[in-house]
Amino acid sequence: MANNIAKKVSWSGEGTPLLNGAEESRYSGQPSGGNMFHIGRMSTVDLEEEAITAEEQDPVRHRPSEIPHNENLLSLKYESLDYDNSENQLFLDEERRMSHMSFRCLEISRWFICGLIGILTGLIACFIDVVVEKLAGLKYDVVKENIEKFTEDGGLSVSLILWVVLNSAFVMFGAIIVAFIEPIAAGSGIPQIKCYLNGVKVPRVVRLKTLLVKVCGVICSVAGGLAVGKEGPMIHSGAVVAAGVSQGRSTSLKRDLKIFEYFRRDTEKRDFVSAGAAAGVSAAFGAPVGGVLFSLEEGASFWNQMLTWRIFFASMISTFTLNFFMSCYKGKLGELSNPGLINFGGFTLESVQYSIYEIPLFIIMGAIGGLLGALFNVLNYWLTIFRIRYVHRRCLQVMEAMLVAAVSATVSFTMIYFSTDCQPLKDSSQEYSLQLFCADGEYNAMATAFFNTPEKSVRSLFHSPPGTYNVQTLGLFTLTYFFLACWTYGLAVSAGVFIPSLLIGAAWGRLFGILLSLVFPSKITIWTDPGKYALMGAAAQLGGIVRMTLSLTVILVEATGNVTYGLPIMLVLMTAKIVGDYFIEGLYDVHIKLQSVPFLHWEAPATSHWLTAREVMSSPVTCFRRVEKVGTIVDVLSAMSTNHNGFPVIMQAGTDDEPGKLCGLILRSQLIVLLKHKVFVERAHSQLGRRRLRLKDFRDAYPRFPPIQSIHVSQDERECMMDLTEFMNPTPYTVLQETSLPRVFKLFRALGLRHLVVIDEGNTVMGLVTRKDLARYHLGKHGLLEEMDLAHP
Amino acid sequence: MGFFTSYSCVLFVFFCGNLMLGEISVHAAEPSGDEDLKAPWLNEDSYFPSLRLSSSFPEDVEMIDHCLKLLHDFGQRYTSLSSCLVSNARPVKMCQNCYSGYNNFLEMYTNISTQMGSGNKSCEELLLHADRLMLLYNLYKGLNDIWESAECTSCLTNKSMSNTTLYFIDRHNQSLTCFEKYSQGNYSELCVECKTSYKVLNDLYSNMSKNKSLCIDVEDAMNSTRYSWSKVYNCSLTREENVPVIAVSSFMLFLPLIFYLSNYLHSEQKKRKLMHPKRAKSSHSLMNIQDKYS
Repeated sequence: MANNIAKKVSWSGEGTPLLNGAEESRYSGQPSGGNMFHIGRMSTVDLEEEAITAEEQDPVRHRPSEIPHNENLLSLKYESLDYDNSENQLFLDEERRMSHMSFRCLEISRWFICGLIGILTGLIACFIDVVVEKLAGLKYDVVKENIEKFTEDGGLSVSLILWVVLNSAFVMFGAIIVAFIEPIAAGSGIPQIKCYLNGVKVPRVVRLKTLLVKVCGVICSVAGGLAVGKEGPMIHSGAVVAAGVSQGRSTSLKRDLKIFEYFRRDTEKRDFVSAGAAAGVSAAFGAPVGGVLFSLEEGASFWNQMLTWRIFFASMISTFTLNFFMSCYKGKLGELSNPGLINFGGFTLESVQYSIYEIPLFIIMGAIGGLLGALFNVLNYWLTIFRIRYVHRRCLQVMEAMLVAAVSATVSFTMIYFSTDCQPLKDSSQEYSLQLFCADGEYNAMATAFFNTPEKSVRSLFHSPPGTYNVQTLGLFTLTYFFLACWTYGLAVSAGVFIPSLLIGAAWGRLFGILLSLVFPSKITIWTDPGKYALMGAAAQLGGIVRMTLSLTVILVEATGNVTYGLPIMLVLMTAKIVGDYFIEGLYDVHIKLQSVPFLHWEAPATSHWLTAREVMSSPVTCFRRVEKVGTIVDVLSAMSTNHNGFPVIMQAGTDDEPGKLCGLILRSQLIVLLKHKVFVERAHSQLGRRRLRLKDFRDAYPRFPPIQSIHVSQDERECMMDLTEFMNPTPYTVLQETSLPRVFKLFRALGLRHLVVIDEGNTVMGLVTRKDLARYHLGKHGLLEEMDLAHP
Repeated sequence: MGFFTSYSCVLFVFFCGNLMLGEISVHAAEPSGDEDLKAPWLNEDSYFPSLRLSSSFPEDVEMIDHCLKLLHDFGQRYTSLSSCLVSNARPVKMCQNCYSGYNNFLEMYTNISTQMGSGNKSCEELLLHADRLMLLYNLYKGLNDIWESAECTSCLTNKSMSNTTLYFIDRHNQSLTCFEKYSQGNYSELCVECKTSYKVLNDLYSNMSKNKSLCIDVEDAMNSTRYSWSKVYNCSLTREENVPVIAVSSFMLFLPLIFYLSNYLHSEQKKRKLMHPKRAKSSHSLMNIQDKYS
């Protein structure tokens, strides 16, 4: 399986055994330099040669073969998705067979699936919300009762220990299922979905098991009092739901409903996954338009108007499913006013209006948010590197998560214990208010921020009337929560970073507002309400950390339900992004880099026009002839060093020396299905009554094609021949050797290609460009073009 | 005279129609006003002589009298309720002392709004919705809003004080007596002596708060008691066990340090195996990038 997953289209493995049956493969690569490569001496000789030449030219190039993990690596673990449709003979046959009516049906089933995605995502959001509320409520009730009991009798350290133990227990469960069952479910899942929509096949990211672990994990980590939110994981959950529903079967459960078979390929699945991600955002924030724009912003290399409309449909359904079931849960059946897991509440009061002279203030807040966000990202970057290098054993990861939970509880408790900020109790708006050493009838203001689920704290910071928090409380809270959140992100628990960012931002934003009214103690009523500054602070902080622009603006506007805040929120996010980008990338991009994903950005790096396809491509290329011997194919596929995924098919040349002319491209997965069904030329003649292979046979094997080792080919069969004409893609995309890197990049990014064959004027295969060839170029710190290293997983 | 009656009847219909539409028609009112001034049945028994109610219902004198009577009573009950509220404003005892007044007032208003006169015209139309100001209605609404925001109804059962409230008032008085008794001497003595009665009161209050049977009287009484207990007599709890809390929390904060340090020292650093790509050799290889730029 590992052999199958790891995709290296044209890389030679280091120190790998020599290829068997090398003489049967055709190599058309004949680089202009004149060095002829032969597979027989590929690994070792090739390496040595390169090393020697490198040493001669530049001693820096001679790298050790093992280095500590860093951000400038590309992992071989990641494959590309096949977004390019293979227009082979089978495909054409199927298209001919399909009637006009069945195309109509396909369109209708696309809509139906989108509706289903919306409903299921909404239900999951609802489930998470209810369970978190119940569990957290239970925990806070127990702790509160305990604290109340011990405040009087003494022995509050016991309450502290109780709180710590409860937190750690929840988090331990969450971390164990993540670390031991499905590590890909860790974190918010947004980086992974971003990669998926970008065209990278992240292993196991859209499996049912991932979804289950994700949902349970997020419940545990939020109930466990970590500085996390449940919104980010909703996006991942939505994506998994979409990928599952659209296939009409579950490989994990071994159930095949025999429906939606047409959608069993990467192109269709990607469209549904973007709908699922949108539905997730929309359920999380009650922001259907924001969800659509999120999909557009994060994964929009492939987009059209009908797809947008369908995604919007899925988003709307999702948010209103959540709405409807939350209204059932709250006993107000049919009252559709609970959109989103987090509800910012309406900013409609007179006192939260803003006027034009406040806009510079908002921009200043945006800059602060950008700075703090960059600081957050830098700290988290170092922490993550440390984690990858040193905390990579699973039990250590669980322990770390438990420690963070324990420290979160301890810090919260200490803050509450030593806080002297007592505020008169207003009608029971704070659910878990603690009195502690405050006078009777008052409550501890620090406790409303710490002794609560983060969502409720955010809402309290936005909407509590002026004077609810004093300056010292907010300052301390911002400081501690900043470090807690930064420490928490990247643990082996499923958890999002949206809510903690909002909370940090809301705290310092409110502080900003309060300071403003202290500095200008005039009667200008517009400065009296710190709530809107809290909102702007939250926007600035979130923008500074994740650096989303368009979609985040719309999400925040939708979550507040106030369109007039659109302008200031946009300005704040713009400033935060500009300031933050000066120092470091967004948090998600940092994590994508640290996971060594070959991620393609929008554009090729600037100043790369002088690079041509010849320098970028991998060469020589393993090719197959149009009619190839089965033995050869099996050998190439099972060789450790060539776990390539696409093989150019070349025209039969007269002699072996002559370079072959390109006539098609065939994928590893196709070859495996062909071998499995034993589609050999000899057999076709002997068994005339045999059913012809159809596209369905390829789809049934999707997405988990069996590894080559599981296919038994007898000695006799090895001598058979296989005709690839019918199955290969006869018109793969090609470029000439002289094409510049940005041009290749654009083609790759816009079409979602996986392989791009480089040819010369005579249509001879010169090399192959894949995602990793392009993703390795990036602009270094000083504006120089740098190349990333490839590393084994 | 017959002519006159029929004339005013026509005018009446016209005027009434305008009233029904809720707008004041100056043109229609002026001529009829002139006629009305001369009407003989105008100024006799009416409580407010200047009120020209009769213009609306000229043929139903009995009905108007009845409504004016109601109006009069309404005024009296309004006055007595307001004065009761004002005199019970501080400390708040409005629910205990004014509930009968409120009940009377409410009854009066219900009378006005439900009682039907003859000819399908009720006093409601005549008194409550006849003009833009809707004075009576707004007066009623003002008092009613005050009553509702005070949540007096949660302290009342069947229009009299509920048992819990009475019990609370009793306990409250006990606490106050206790405070008075010890407030001369040392406050610390008070804190010890009155603790039980105060605690009973406090618990009772929390219970009532859970059952949502709080009204402003109870809340205010409790607030002031709590204030004197915590702020005047300084009896609230103090931080006494800083040491154990600090000890436990510093232990907890110390754990991650040990964890990370031991990981750094003992855990094997994860190395990534590099692999070298197959590349075509050419003069423009990327190895030369550095050279190009330097």
